[in-house]
Amino acid sequence: MDVREIDHSERLTEHVRPGADTALTIDGFSKRFGETVAVDALSLTVPSGSFFGLVGPNGAGKTTALSMAVGLLRPDAGVARIFGHDVWADPVRAKEVVGVLPDGLSMPERLTGRELLTYTARLRGLDRGTAGERADELLRVLELTDADGTMVIDFSAGMRKKIGLATALIHAPKLLVLDEPFEAVDPVSASTIRTILQRFVAAGGSVVLSSHVMALVEALCDRVAVITHGQVVAAGTLSEVRGAGSLEDAFVHLVGGRVGGGEGLSWLAS
Amino acid sequence: MVGVLIDMKVRVLRNSLRGKAGVSFAIGGVVGLIAAIVGVVLIAVHDGGLTVGTDIASAIFAVWMLGWLFGPIFTGGGDETLRPENFALLPVRPHQLAVGLLGASLVGVSPTVTLLLFSGLLLVAIPAGLLTVVVAMVAVAAQLALVVLLSRVVIAGVGAVLGSRRGKDLGVLLGALVGLAYLPARAVLEQLGPIIVGQSSPALTATLRALPSGWGPNAVAAAAAHDWLPAVGWLLALGVLDALLVVAWSRLLVRRLTSGGSTAGPRRSGRRDARAPRRSLLPDSPLGAVIGKELTLWRRDAQRRTMMLVSIIIGLLLPAFSLTQSVGPSGMAFAALWIVVFATMQVSNLYGMDGSAVWQTLTTPGAARADVRGRQWAWALIVGPMAVLAALVLPGVTGATSSYPWVLALVPALLGAGAGTVLLASVESPYAMPSGKGRNPLGASNSGGGLAHIMRRMLLVLVQLAVAVPVLILLVLGSTGVLPAATWIATPFGVACGIGAAWWWGRRAYRRLELRGPEVLAVLRVSV
Repeated sequence: MDVREIDHSERLTEHVRPGADTALTIDGFSKRFGETVAVDALSLTVPSGSFFGLVGPNGAGKTTALSMAVGLLRPDAGVARIFGHDVWADPVRAKEVVGVLPDGLSMPERLTGRELLTYTARLRGLDRGTAGERADELLRVLELTDADGTMVIDFSAGMRKKIGLATALIHAPKLLVLDEPFEAVDPVSASTIRTILQRFVAAGGSVVLSSHVMALVEALCDRVAVITHGQVVAAGTLSEVRGAGSLEDAFVHLVGGRVGGGEGLSWLAS
Repeated sequence: MVGVLIDMKVRVLRNSLRGKAGVSFAIGGVVGLIAAIVGVVLIAVHDGGLTVGTDIASAIFAVWMLGWLFGPIFTGGGDETLRPENFALLPVRPHQLAVGLLGASLVGVSPTVTLLLFSGLLLVAIPAGLLTVVVAMVAVAAQLALVVLLSRVVIAGVGAVLGSRRGKDLGVLLGALVGLAYLPARAVLEQLGPIIVGQSSPALTATLRALPSGWGPNAVAAAAAHDWLPAVGWLLALGVLDALLVVAWSRLLVRRLTSGGSTAGPRRSGRRDARAPRRSLLPDSPLGAVIGKELTLWRRDAQRRTMMLVSIIIGLLLPAFSLTQSVGPSGMAFAALWIVVFATMQVSNLYGMDGSAVWQTLTTPGAARADVRGRQWAWALIVGPMAVLAALVLPGVTGATSSYPWVLALVPALLGAGAGTVLLASVESPYAMPSGKGRNPLGASNSGGGLAHIMRRMLLVLVQLAVAVPVLILLVLGSTGVLPAATWIATPFGVACGIGAAWWWGRRAYRRLELRGPEVLAVLRVSV
């Protein structure tokens, strides 16, 4: 626990290896669940300072890939590096510099928002005072102050996302890995989250987020990867991936989708 | 509606019974079958004729009715294979839903076994002729509906009061209780058996027959005596009671479906502690943070509160029960030991109780150790004071002062061992529990797996008791006079054993969590 005593900013610079200019590298990730291949030899590079969007249809393997990249799911094969630190071989260094917002996982549900934040911060080794200050500031910025006496279990979907984002931010990470951060979030909260993320990137941070809302990725991200059936089918800067058309057109073309719904259901409202 | 729900229940049961769950399900079925056969034999095989047969039937029915009533309370909500929430949007009236769910409730091991047992009444009726058998058949059906309905209504009622629906975890407790209740049950049977068979206590038999569980046997007895009016009357009474229970259940269903998700605890922690961080005696470190969080959750989470409460109550009740037995008053002096043992058994799935929240520990560098140690401390800080208090007070109060050396040496040893095994079991074999607002679609929360959990807990207790063995040896040496000083060494030795066990097993637990954390999460993120 000695590392925890070091000042936060010092610790971060100390652990960023010289030359490690990529925030996240995924090399040859594979994962199968029984017969189903969820992720198949997937490789990705997220340059430092980029706002990276991972898009793909439902079940493409986005959550599986991101879980493996942050150490929540053991890959069958492949390596992930966060600022040069192998997530699976050197987890402590890697996890110090990353903040994670998983999708669909519980939190200590019977803590209030403030309790959850101070707990998370103190688990990260911050002292009580600092933890309290940062929790205050995050609650204020994320407009959760009114709800700071409410338990997480009673939070709405949007509030859950915001408090999750706050727990991911509280230790001042260099990289944010966010799984569906805008799912079920109302427009006002979404715009708050967007602003925070944009400021984070402008200040030198890196963000990887997954989404299937193309317009949002198009508006936020400077780099995009499209994955389907567990493989990357396109990756690069936004303009490289979308070409002349919109990202949505490129996406539908890339995943080989056919827009359904045009036939059948003749008995409905006839 | 009824047909569809029964079909659904059968499918859910079938889907959830693959592999290990199926095996324990089958074993449970065999155990139930044996119990039912024993019951049928008791009802049908004796020299007392029809009156005694119906008397025995009413006694056994009463016992089973009590089982249906209290079993689910201990097991935490009973059969929730089909949750009413899943049908909330169907355009049916509440009583239709209740009848449908009743139909589905009749599918399963317990109702089948109960039906088999109740059919013993048919054997009693056969000598009296065909019409009596017909009465008996109606009585058996109504009696089965009665116990199932009574149990569902009680659960729904208690659930509405507690505001919580707990999952299968406490079900294990029933297994332990059934095992431990054997001695008192046998003693009761030995005393009551001759009374019922010999008709020597009219008051007792009259009481048993007046209970709704005796109404079916009453009808059969009346039919056999060709008193058709009372026979039909008893059957009608059963039918009316069943109908009333359906109405009550549908009322409770409406309440459950329209009152919103219960959060099983105070909805708000209150503004007063929202802003000002309370002064805390806990260290300002990750360990202190975990202890603080755990103590908060033990206080706030109804599920956890119930677990602790049940441990204390059973810890105190079991030895109190033995007061009436041959064990003598010294049993109560050892209540502290029971409290510790039950608190260990109840809390063997700490990570499972938090849903998938363990991801937070996994993404925080070095947090596994603080998390395991903090949870150990929190458990010990809650169980410890109660156990120590019981250990200090009860031997004195019950006059069994000679048991002080035993209790004072064994309690710290078991407490430490418990703090170790609780975490070791939680990390080594976690399992997913219904969590959050419990609104998962068609999760088979209560089918199968029960026996595996009972065995796992028995193993846990055996490991815990193993730590007490060296202490026991020392105490025996002391009390037999081989080594008189041993009696006084035993207490510090017990403390040392406890600390050692807590330290060693805690270390194993956090190393395991560091190494296999993703696998723990993979098990827990499954929704049940």
